[in-house]
Amino acid sequence: MKKTILFLWIVLFGAVVLYAQNKQLLYDFYEIPQSLLLNPGVKTPYKWHTGIPLLSGFSVQAGTSGITVNDLFANDGIDFTTKFREKVINGIRKNDEFGGSGTIELFNIGFRRRNRPSDYISFGMYGEGFIAQFWPEDLAVLAFEGNANNLNRRFSLNHIASQGEAVNVFHFGLNRKLNNKWTIGARAKLYSSVFEFRSANNNGYFVTTQGENNILRNTLVADVTLRTSGVEEILDILDEDSNSTGADLASLLLRRSLLGGNLGLGFDVGFTHTLGRNSYVTASLLDVGFIYHTNAIKNYTLKGAASNEGVEIILPDDLTNFNTEIWQELIDDIEEQIPFSDNERSYITLRPIKLNVSFRYNFGERDLKKKNCECSTKTALRAENLDYQNAFGGQLFMINRARGPQAALTAFYQRRLANVLTIKTTYTIDKFTFSNIGLGLNLQTGPINFYVLADNLLGYSNIPDSSYASLQFGFNIISWNGN
Amino acid sequence: MKRLLSFLVYIFLVFSCAEEQDFDQFDDLSIEPTVASSIFYFESNEEIINAFGTGGFYEEVFTFEAFSDPNVSDRVIDGTITYQLENTTSKDLGLLIEFLDEGGTVLDSESFIADEEPTPLLERQVAYGESGKSLDILRNTTNIRVSGENLGDATSQSSQNEPKIILRSSAAFRVRLR
Repeated sequence: MKKTILFLWIVLFGAVVLYAQNKQLLYDFYEIPQSLLLNPGVKTPYKWHTGIPLLSGFSVQAGTSGITVNDLFANDGIDFTTKFREKVINGIRKNDEFGGSGTIELFNIGFRRRNRPSDYISFGMYGEGFIAQFWPEDLAVLAFEGNANNLNRRFSLNHIASQGEAVNVFHFGLNRKLNNKWTIGARAKLYSSVFEFRSANNNGYFVTTQGENNILRNTLVADVTLRTSGVEEILDILDEDSNSTGADLASLLLRRSLLGGNLGLGFDVGFTHTLGRNSYVTASLLDVGFIYHTNAIKNYTLKGAASNEGVEIILPDDLTNFNTEIWQELIDDIEEQIPFSDNERSYITLRPIKLNVSFRYNFGERDLKKKNCECSTKTALRAENLDYQNAFGGQLFMINRARGPQAALTAFYQRRLANVLTIKTTYTIDKFTFSNIGLGLNLQTGPINFYVLADNLLGYSNIPDSSYASLQFGFNIISWNGN
Repeated sequence: MKRLLSFLVYIFLVFSCAEEQDFDQFDDLSIEPTVASSIFYFESNEEIINAFGTGGFYEEVFTFEAFSDPNVSDRVIDGTITYQLENTTSKDLGLLIEFLDEGGTVLDSESFIADEEPTPLLERQVAYGESGKSLDILRNTTNIRVSGENLGDATSQSSQNEPKIILRSSAAFRVRLR
């Protein structure tokens, strides 16, 4: 039973290793209340909504760039070391990465204010996290080939870049329809970091050159830092490997999720601006904030510079040196020149800011009872706000990452089938793939809302050959305006 | 709700495919880099050699655990030690490098004779592993003894600028990381 609990925690941990990246299918899909989390200024045709706890928003994403599982593990009869050299060592570059992210929503509630119906308030809690490992290209070559045949090549330590976290987020948002042209929104966030590790902006190199005295000179210049918070506690519990490991780990994760970890603040802002009767633009800026890490911190550093040409005996200087431990002396000197140390200093990490921008054009409108005079702040009915039969447009997503901003561009088409079903399909290009076709279904049966969104459908024809996959789904209960 | 989930799982299973993968291939991955480093450097000027007269002018044993370190000794496959001897003094000189184990037993040795100047750079490569000497020599080496002997006179002076005897050495070994 305890092993089961541990396993479930590991599974949950794996799933909660997340932080939402591009969710182009969900963005501006305003029939789904979770679209408020991607743009607090999205249209809100609901009177109230509540997500079904733990099932209202679940998403996982995984991606690789530069290589797929199939590239390496296809049963093709080719020697694996040869494949590894060609596909990994010679094929992957420092900006290629392996990553996974996910979100699990614990609860999500929203309601329209009675005394000010232009306002829609929403709040909730979700956990998210991610792991992103950039490929350490130079160090991989060094490990695979060694330095003997790479004289004068500088192996950069800057290629070391790794980041991961799990964080629980409490949020409270306000969405306000200012008039028929503008809807704006903002969301405040309180972050409770469960754990985090980050190694980025490293510098230095290792190089082997012709020696000044001896045949070869090895030089290491290092400025490498790994910051962690919460990780040490988890590893300590796992190291214990006692009967209570599962329960201890569950207790720790729960405590750190519920404000017992490192805390931070942030906000989202966004808007929807109607350009005419059939078109509008939206934009949102998400996770502008920080986490202040003050507890359970363990930082590791490797800083300094050293060159080595082996043990040296130079006469007459060493005639009076009776120390025969010159090998150990050499090792001690190098360790002194490039100390590997740790500390528990507090630090601040900025949240990975995300930007969404979209343009949308609706066509094939249904016969509306009212014409849009662009003069009212009265809350629109569902039939009015869901005022399209078809829609198409484009979206831009950007996120600030360890190696600078990453972007994704999406074209989408959306179609409503009666009041029951809405389909959205997307085509997205980003660093992972140029052939990402996604499909989203939103099903509304009475007050029950169910959505499922999946990316990179072409990849499902051979999943191991796919460089990216994502899946989101959730259940909500929605009361629409006018009901 | 259960029916809906079952339907979605069914759709996923029906329409998704996967080419056959063989994850056991990973066991065949071989990572064997060749790492290189200088080992030791010995230098003596002619003045000191003359000062000690003919015969031995230097002998010292020092610890050298680069090869016996488990990270190397457990992983080394084969390799080469390269020696370079340069003599710009006016006398013939001999150098002896001995590899010793913890008990002081000589496991192996390399002897060099360098003619008086002018003499070309002497380079010697010694292979270890399948096509050379036993790797156990290196695995068990914890000390190195360096001995220098003056095989000529103790008075002559080379016309070269800063006459010296220099022994350089480096090693390049293939190690099995995986």
